[in-house]
Amino acid sequence: MISITDVRKKYAGAAEGEEALRGCSLEIEEGEFVAIVGTSGSGKTTLLNVIGGLDTTYSGRVEVFGRDLKALSDRELAAFRNRQIGFVFQHFSLLDHLTALENVALPFHFAQDTDGIDPVARATEALTDLGLGAKLHERPGNLSGGQKQRVAIARALFFKPRLLLCDEPTGSLDTKTGERIIQTFEQLNRDGYTVVIITHEARVSRAAKRLVQIEDGEIVQEGGAAP
Amino acid sequence: MKLNAITRLVAQNVKRSKKSFLMSGFGIIVGISTFVFFLGLGEGVRNVVLGEIFLVDQVEVVPKQFDTGFTVFSGGRTLDDTVVEELGAIDGVETVFPKMKFTFPTRGYGGKKLFGRQIWAEIIADGLDPALVAKDMDDPGVFRDWETDVACTEDTACPAGRTCESGQCTKMACQYNERTYLADCPGESYCAADTRQCEMPIPVIASNHLLELYNGSLATALGGAKGGAKMPKLSKATVIGFQLNLTLGKSFLGRAAKSRPLTRRVKLVGFSDKAIMVGMTMPLAYVRRFNERFAGEEAAQTYHSIVLKVDDQTRVPEVVQAVKDAGFDLADSTENAERAANIIRTVESVFALISLVIVGIAAVNISQMFFMIIYQRKRELGVLRAVGASRNDVRFLIMGEAALIGVVGGILGAGVGYAGSRLIDYLATHLPEFPYKPDSFFAFPTWIWVAGVGIGVLFCVVGAFFPANTAARQDPSVALTQ
Repeated sequence: MISITDVRKKYAGAAEGEEALRGCSLEIEEGEFVAIVGTSGSGKTTLLNVIGGLDTTYSGRVEVFGRDLKALSDRELAAFRNRQIGFVFQHFSLLDHLTALENVALPFHFAQDTDGIDPVARATEALTDLGLGAKLHERPGNLSGGQKQRVAIARALFFKPRLLLCDEPTGSLDTKTGERIIQTFEQLNRDGYTVVIITHEARVSRAAKRLVQIEDGEIVQEGGAAP
Repeated sequence: MKLNAITRLVAQNVKRSKKSFLMSGFGIIVGISTFVFFLGLGEGVRNVVLGEIFLVDQVEVVPKQFDTGFTVFSGGRTLDDTVVEELGAIDGVETVFPKMKFTFPTRGYGGKKLFGRQIWAEIIADGLDPALVAKDMDDPGVFRDWETDVACTEDTACPAGRTCESGQCTKMACQYNERTYLADCPGESYCAADTRQCEMPIPVIASNHLLELYNGSLATALGGAKGGAKMPKLSKATVIGFQLNLTLGKSFLGRAAKSRPLTRRVKLVGFSDKAIMVGMTMPLAYVRRFNERFAGEEAAQTYHSIVLKVDDQTRVPEVVQAVKDAGFDLADSTENAERAANIIRTVESVFALISLVIVGIAAVNISQMFFMIIYQRKRELGVLRAVGASRNDVRFLIMGEAALIGVVGGILGAGVGYAGSRLIDYLATHLPEFPYKPDSFFAFPTWIWVAGVGIGVLFCVVGAFFPANTAARQDPSVALTQ
């Protein structure tokens, strides 16, 4: 489902030999719950951006759901991110001037084919499923950290994508709230979503069914769930 | 991305950044208001100058003149029927109307009913084909040569002072009497001293300028004069029907050598911009007959000018060139129209340019504002890309915001410009009367509104073009780290 082969990435301005990714190869099957762990600057986020089609300036080959991301045009790649991938970020990345409902429905505005979906109904359903039915018209400024992250998850789930890519989703949350968010991802995985989480927190990696460790841009270890 | 989605997101973004947009939109409002104001002023002035003072859809041809520095004399070809035919064949000329002036002295007296006292004046007159002014007349039938035969079956079909005899309206004989001749003929006809027949007054028309000049200058100047010297301001309605007695062949300055003077009556039947500027204009046939009587055969065959009506205003320059190539000059009125049109065009262009510079500066300001906004929204733009926005979506969003500023700024600017014009018009009502003083100094054809709002949008969109491109090219993976 996700096939990464010998991916190398070097940022502009980086010194000779300072690659963010050094020949990474990885296979992820549909329905997996994978945690990518590593220290800060190890290349986790870069790998996530490459998988999510946010960064195509790499060498090597990345195939997601059978599509070579580098071969897609900007418009095709945008449609791919819109329908196939849901992103969840550490700092929630909600638009402060929009309500929870409007934030969740945001992907709808960029959809090239909306299939007759009612954006309000779909966003309401997503928020209600995550326990935010009473917060539909609240702006992010009026929500707690955990609520914000659930709004962000609802947005990621708007089009029911096949893949959830999460970058330190509990990094800005307290322990208790973080636990609830982890449980949410576990439930989503049980519901059939493929979940790839970047984290340096042990509690998150423990929830994953498979662990991928990355160091200095190289995948150094792959295995089952952390003990 | 669909239009309604863009509109919705643009509206939300503009709403949250309204302070920045208000600041930037202010420049657009100032620029567009001056643009609309000056274009409206230019159009208004053009309407008065080219629509009432100098007519631009016609060319008046005169014989070539030579200016020696001491005097000007005509040395070119005489304007006769051959020339009329030749000029009529020029490409772009719709109709040709020869004009002929009195070539003998004339004076007039009358006006007691209108002015309260008899007025004596030197008279300048010319003649033209009634067809030239038919459109300007309420009843074109009254501006005609009454001397031509009028067919009839009964007396009622004939004009006043004539009876129907053998199928033709025939003038009635009358007994001329210095004191009673006015009443000796029926209706508005009068008894002519030389023919001892009832004559219809010669229909004449006057120029709109003459009434403007009279009301704006003479009546104003004498408005404060004592007693009988006062002159009333006149409207067209009050002067239509005004009659004056002319002594043809004799004036205060001299008399015609060829024939004895005779008296005829004229009646004002209308106004036209094609009438002589100062004086009176009658059907050409009258002038031709009088010129023959008082100045000879040649004077009756020679025109003083020929008016060429051009089928399309834009073809005037080529018609003018053809006229000059044929060895003729243009009358001052035509030269002045060209000069006036050029001056108005130049002044209008200068003001429009100044306005565009203001709008241009506002566009630069908008450009800088968008660069700042994009910097502030960098992470947000990354999020939009992550949830499915393409580069073009981002580009359209930014330019959509700019277009909205342009539309609102353009509409408000046009409104402010219009309000300014109303204020000027209001203040102008307190100015003293002057010739050609219009009801409004401004004219706002539809294209001015379209141009005002259109230029507002165009400059805003152009101003936002580079920031929008920068935003679109932004790497989403980098933007999301901000």
